[in-house]
Amino acid sequence: MTMLLRSPADLGLDLEAEVAPAARVVDAVKVYGKGDAAVRALDGVNVDFERGRFTAIMGPSGSGKSTLLHCVAGLDTLTYGSACIGDVDLGRLDDRRLTRLRRDRIGFVFQAFNLLPTLTAAENITLPLALAGKKPDQQWLDLIIDVVGLRDRLGHRPAELSGGQQQRVAVARSLVTRPEIIFADEPTGNLDSRSGGELLRFLRLAVDEFGQTIVMVTHDPVAAAKTDRIVFLADGRVVDELHAPTPDSVVDRLKRLH
Amino acid sequence: MGRLARGALAHRMRLVRTASAVALAVSLVAGTFVLTDTIGSALHQATTSGEDIDLVVRATSAFTPQGGAVSERERVPDSLLATVMAVPGVREAWGSLTGYAEVVGAAADRPAIGTAWSPGGAMVSGRAPTSPGEVVIDSSIAAQQGLSLGDQVKILVQGAVEEFTITGLRKVNDYLASSQAMFDLQTAQRVLGQLGTLDAIPVRAEPGVSAETMRARIGDVLPERYEVVTFDQSAKEAEESWSRALGFLTAALLMFAAVALLVGAFLIFNTFSILVAQRTRELGLLRAMGASRAQVTGSVLVEALAVGLVASVAGVVLGMGAAKGLLALMRVVGFDLPDVSVVFRPRTAAAGLVCGVVVTLVAALGPARRATRISPVAAITGVSADAGGSPARRLAWGGGVTLAGVAVLLAGLYGEMSRPLPAIGLGAAGLLVGVAMLLPLIARPAAHLLGRPLVRLCGQPALLGRENAMRNPRRTAATAAAAMIGITLVGVVAILAASMKASATRSITETLRADFVVAPRPIPGTAAGLPTQVADKLRRTPGVATVSQIRGGQWGLEGRAQTLLAVDPATVTEMHELDTVSAAAARRLDDRSVLVRENVAARNGWKVGDQVPMTFARTGTRELRLAATFSTSTVRSDYVVSLGAYKANYAQQLDTFVDVRLAPGVTLEAGRAALTAALADFGTAEIRDRTQVLDASRRQVDTLLLPVTALLALSVLIALLGITNTLALSISERTRELGLLRAVGMARSQLRSMVRAEAMIISCLGALLGVGVAAFFGWALVTAMGDLGVTDLVFPTGQLAGLVALATAAGMVAGVLPARRAARQGVLDAVAAE
Repeated sequence: MTMLLRSPADLGLDLEAEVAPAARVVDAVKVYGKGDAAVRALDGVNVDFERGRFTAIMGPSGSGKSTLLHCVAGLDTLTYGSACIGDVDLGRLDDRRLTRLRRDRIGFVFQAFNLLPTLTAAENITLPLALAGKKPDQQWLDLIIDVVGLRDRLGHRPAELSGGQQQRVAVARSLVTRPEIIFADEPTGNLDSRSGGELLRFLRLAVDEFGQTIVMVTHDPVAAAKTDRIVFLADGRVVDELHAPTPDSVVDRLKRLH
Repeated sequence: MGRLARGALAHRMRLVRTASAVALAVSLVAGTFVLTDTIGSALHQATTSGEDIDLVVRATSAFTPQGGAVSERERVPDSLLATVMAVPGVREAWGSLTGYAEVVGAAADRPAIGTAWSPGGAMVSGRAPTSPGEVVIDSSIAAQQGLSLGDQVKILVQGAVEEFTITGLRKVNDYLASSQAMFDLQTAQRVLGQLGTLDAIPVRAEPGVSAETMRARIGDVLPERYEVVTFDQSAKEAEESWSRALGFLTAALLMFAAVALLVGAFLIFNTFSILVAQRTRELGLLRAMGASRAQVTGSVLVEALAVGLVASVAGVVLGMGAAKGLLALMRVVGFDLPDVSVVFRPRTAAAGLVCGVVVTLVAALGPARRATRISPVAAITGVSADAGGSPARRLAWGGGVTLAGVAVLLAGLYGEMSRPLPAIGLGAAGLLVGVAMLLPLIARPAAHLLGRPLVRLCGQPALLGRENAMRNPRRTAATAAAAMIGITLVGVVAILAASMKASATRSITETLRADFVVAPRPIPGTAAGLPTQVADKLRRTPGVATVSQIRGGQWGLEGRAQTLLAVDPATVTEMHELDTVSAAAARRLDDRSVLVRENVAARNGWKVGDQVPMTFARTGTRELRLAATFSTSTVRSDYVVSLGAYKANYAQQLDTFVDVRLAPGVTLEAGRAALTAALADFGTAEIRDRTQVLDASRRQVDTLLLPVTALLALSVLIALLGITNTLALSISERTRELGLLRAVGMARSQLRSMVRAEAMIISCLGALLGVGVAAFFGWALVTAMGDLGVTDLVFPTGQLAGLVALATAAGMVAGVLPARRAARQGVLDAVAAE
């Protein structure tokens, strides 16, 4: 106790850094359209995404879960409120800085069309680094490639890979820059259950082994059950939260929401 | 069908660019017709307006020269004037006479023309000349010289410089003869060297007597070898003579229009291929819902029809502007026309519309057929089953067309065809299309190679751009092929220009032995010459050792116009170093013989000693003995006669060149000073030393080829439009990819670099191929043009490299708009699309 009190300022800063979320939205409102046609996709959302944790966002269609992901990831802008990555308020960034932030500090895995058809798997994985004009850290790269098990497919183009393999390339690409946070938008949506399970295992591994922060939108209870925490959205608001979920508890909550 | 077409028309904006390519090409077609109609109308005005004449009495002519060349008719004895005037019904008749007379000090760019006084015409002030010392001059010359009625004016005529008193000022309507000096008939006959003769006798009939009646009456009293024609007919003849010369211009311009249309066709083909590929799902859905193949083809063709129609209408309208541009171009070449209103005939619109619509439909036919191969399953998978034909078949077809093109081209160049131009054009087009067909086979590796320096320079964006250029070889190939065609032709012109200049340089430096060449100042629109006094004066000039005259003229061989040169056999070899055979041939030339180029003689089956039937306008058909053949390219005509033969058969005696050799020991400076002093009164004579002769011949090449390059640049412009269009279409196709790239951190500037890199690779590929094909065309053309004096094949490597660099840079400019559009694309599109 006395040791802690000896340097309260330092300690306080450390503590804050420790608990500061990887991403956060405050009073987030997103309105599409104007006048009578206006739709409030997000209607006052407050949520933190903690570091080193695997968070799922769930909710029925039109609940605003994808909008939330896009806005916190800097792909879309909020109408009101703020979205932060670390201590950076995305609303204050111009396009150039936002692009650089996405490139250096954020990873993406989309439901489909994650890869450039003209590039090989290896080239797709290192694309963000190449865009930044950086050389990949070979050890890290080797590690990622081995983790996702793509060593023997590196020279292939996306058209020559299965859907599962393509998504694994996307995961590898999202990891390659060691981003502060990875956003995954229905990453298993287009996969069969076996490939989907595998992909989730990789995501889980990234969180457990590399301390990666991942936020994933999904409507699959089995996928959501692999995460540490689930945020439930309905009509543009956070309506519930579930920690250490299991498939059964997820289904239960979902039933209550409907 | 209408409903299906409506779906197609939804892609309006992307079709605008396609349409503008067609419109540009059509504008050249329409512009050509507007231009030639306008010139035709101007000529009609010039030949028919002015004097109020009903009939013309003249000598019969055995041959009509081309291109409004000075009439080479035999003259009419002035005794005939009285005969004609005695015919009842003749109200007025006078002798017309035209020759060389130069108002000393008048602007050197005007033809120097002296005529006999003729009634009618717009007198500004004063009266007709009535005595030997009087003259009427053009009012604009008077204004320019500060002369007025009663002043003395110096005029250079047949004998020497004479002084005349101005009795009147007249505004001359004929733009080709705006510096006329008019004398009374006797004076005109004296100063123009036509004592006792007239060019023709214009006649005015009494009111109420028809021209036809008069024609019959006068015809009855005319001796043999003379005829009377109505003014309408003589005007028509003059106009026709010009039209024939214009026919060549029309053909040349239409050729450029054809090139532009060909390039446009590539563009249309490409656009519709991409549109069909993009609409795979839509078309598959239509098929799934029961649309027949014919309906699917129809929907594509209806779209093509709409594009073709809109574009052609726009092109025809643009053609009016194009005609004005072409007129300006002609002014550059030295063919100046008076201000005339632009003539637009229904035929012009029809030709433009037909060309535009047919080319668009034909080019869209391939993609339309491909659309029918889309299976209903494509609606679900979104993947077109069409892989685009096997490489082996492409190789066979493309190779076949290429080789056929080369064969036809070479046959046109080397075969002894009477009309080789269509074969040359067809062969060239075949070769270009064949290469374009083969292009997809090498597009991938070529793009890879060409992109290498770019990738080294700009890294990842260029790499992605290169990959994009490589991903669809057929599309890249078609786009590059359009650029290739334009660059090929520009390259050929550059090679021709360089070769012609080098050949001229060699011919002048190696074979011209004259110290000075005196030539008439080039006067726009006229085939002017120097009066014989120039040579006479030079012969009397101290320090001059030898003077040799050269003349040029037209004659007819079996009804077709030919050219000949007339030389002085005694002195010509002193001025021009000929090979021994040609020199010996020149010495064998006398006044009843002709020299013929070896291969021309062979083609006509003439041997030395044979009689060559030559039809001269003035003297009719004469047989000249083939004295010898020659092969040297120094002589720029296939036929050479002596000055004596020329005098005997041509009415006008004007020198095209006068070659001068100085006496030994006279320096060039002293010689020039002496010549300048001697020719002080001859305003139209230009004294050129060998360097100046060289410069003049180079300038001539430039003035000839500059407008050609300008016209070809239009096809390059269309090709660039094609690059813009292809990229824009590709970008709308790759919306999700671009979004993805932005999501994973590609900056807008990088995205722009990527698109521009693709554009540069495509245009560079087209330019390199174009220069390659141009090298072949250049070689083929130059080796075939040996007879025309183009002996040296020169590849202007600097210029050609510059052309490639320029085309590549222009390609980058063409990519700017699509690049900007790509960069505007929202990041979310990657995720949101579909």
